Amino acid sequence: MRREPPVTDPFVRMYHVSKSYMAGTFALHDVSLEVDRGEFVFLTGPSGAGKTTLLKLLFAAERPSEGQIILRGRNITRLREYGIPALRRRIGVVFQDFKLLGHRSVEENVGMALEVRGTPPREIRSRVFRVLKQVGLQHRRYHRAEALSGGEQQRVALARALVNDPELLLADEPTGNLDPELTLEIMDLIASAGARGTTVVVATHDLSLIDRYAKRTLHLEAGCVKRDAGAAAISA
Amino acid sequence: MRLLVVHLFYAARSAIRGLWASPVTTGVALVTIAVSLVLVGAFGLLVTNMQGLLDRVGEDLRVTAYLEEGISDEDLKRLALLTQTVEGVASVETISKDDALRIFDERLGGRSGLLEGLEYNPLPASLEITLVESQRSVGGLRVVVESLDGLPGIEELSYGEEWVEGYARALSMIRGLGVGVACVLALATLLIVGNTIKLAVYARRDEIEILGLVGASRSFVRIPFLLEGFTQGTLAALMALGLLYILYRILTPSLAAGIELLMGHASPAFFSPFQMFLLVASGAFVGALGSAAAFVEGGRR
Ligand SMILES: Nc1ncnc2c1ncn2[C@@H]1O[C@H](COP(=O)(O)OP(=O)(O)OP(=O)(O)O)[C@@H](O)[C@H]1O
Ligand SMILES: [Mg+2]
Repeated sequence: MRREPPVTDPFVRMYHVSKSYMAGTFALHDVSLEVDRGEFVFLTGPSGAGKTTLLKLLFAAERPSEGQIILRGRNITRLREYGIPALRRRIGVVFQDFKLLGHRSVEENVGMALEVRGTPPREIRSRVFRVLKQVGLQHRRYHRAEALSGGEQQRVALARALVNDPELLLADEPTGNLDPELTLEIMDLIASAGARGTTVVVATHDLSLIDRYAKRTLHLEAGCVKRDAGAAAISA
Repeated sequence: MRLLVVHLFYAARSAIRGLWASPVTTGVALVTIAVSLVLVGAFGLLVTNMQGLLDRVGEDLRVTAYLEEGISDEDLKRLALLTQTVEGVASVETISKDDALRIFDERLGGRSGLLEGLEYNPLPASLEITLVESQRSVGGLRVVVESLDGLPGIEELSYGEEWVEGYARALSMIRGLGVGVACVLALATLLIVGNTIKLAVYARRDEIEILGLVGASRSFVRIPFLLEGFTQGTLAALMALGLLYILYRILTPSLAAGIELLMGHASPAFFSPFQMFLLVASGAFVGALGSAAAFVEGGRR
């Protein structure tokens, strides 16, 4: 189902990337890193460390002040405005605040990610049904999103991120306000997407998750990568 | 091709949703635009009908050249021939002093005692000049009159100038006023549509943001709003057309009586199909333009 990974090129490459929202302060400072295709990476660090900023740079919601970002061989820092939509259609993003339309149905919310690419309605229905089944919400597809519980909304957000079968899944605190049980449910869904070959970056405060899943972890502090621990290093 | 159809389907659905989502705003905008268009349309009707009247009057236009006292028959003949060669002149009829007196007499119904006491004939000889069809307008008339003016032997030219020119001046004033009103109202309509669309954009800012985040192109986001403006303009123009027609049917009978008294014949006309199409098309155009302007002003995303 997945495309073959091209030889050895890393999927994401950041070269000396800095981001400054205000002159004199850095949200990210001289960050260089690589993420391989199919890799699963946790992004952690204290509040304000720059986790959200890093994710935003990857789907071109923000532009770096300095440095280059190469995504699947493309320099996205040189991307023109009209090139951004095509990039985002290959990326699934789970936002910390869900970003769902409360008065629209679950089906419509998830379907939006396919409508923007011109997928015909019938195909959308079947693909949305399939992905909602994955997250266990197929029976609620006609409910308005705002009528769902927080955990259910989180799963809808994940379904929307996964419905276009993305090459890269970015999740910003996807378990932020959930109880431990729901947290594991969501994380298992993300991990299984990773197991199917999607490259995954998850920003989280939750150290228990990092212990439990034993994946590569990038620790950010004040905009700098303080530690880049591979899966082996953590479990050792 | 298929992709285009699918995209159009989503855009149309989104536009209809948008129009339904705030029926009050939509309704107020529709009525306001319709009223503007009714005013513009009313001016249009007035101008076309007045123009039509003027054109018909033109058919009766003729010039009378009163000749100098004591002009010889020979000179008179020569002048008549000369006049005949002036561009725009169709026919020239010579009316001698005697003819003039006879016509005057006939007009008075034979009670010629009035003139009998006169020792001499006070009426001048004249030339009755009709114009070729292409010159039968106020402008054409003026050109011919200018050519005739100054021919030797002509004392005075008469062509109902006060009336014709007064009417033409009134017409061009009304037309100018109409154009001015149309411009002002077009601008107002633009602002109204622009504002409605701005409100719609604001009301749907969450949706617009999310669409952008999941990879919607700029046109995917904007075309529904353009369609909304277009639809508003079209619907409002259709409403205006209906309203104008009702007004036309109500007002024509009483107006026609007045005009008939003045002009002899009149049947105020409604818009031709092409003019109706123009009105609707301009409504649609202004609507689409208004929503485009909302984006230019409202900036990005
Ligand atoms: N749009 C913005 N304008 C100005 N400053 C910003 C903006 N977004 C983030 N920042 C600043 O950049 C720094 C990094 O913010 P960022 O949101 O990336 O941190 P974070 O690691 O995601 O924090 P948290 O764990 O609280 O979500 C912070 O100091 C923040 O104040
Ligand atoms: Mg954050």
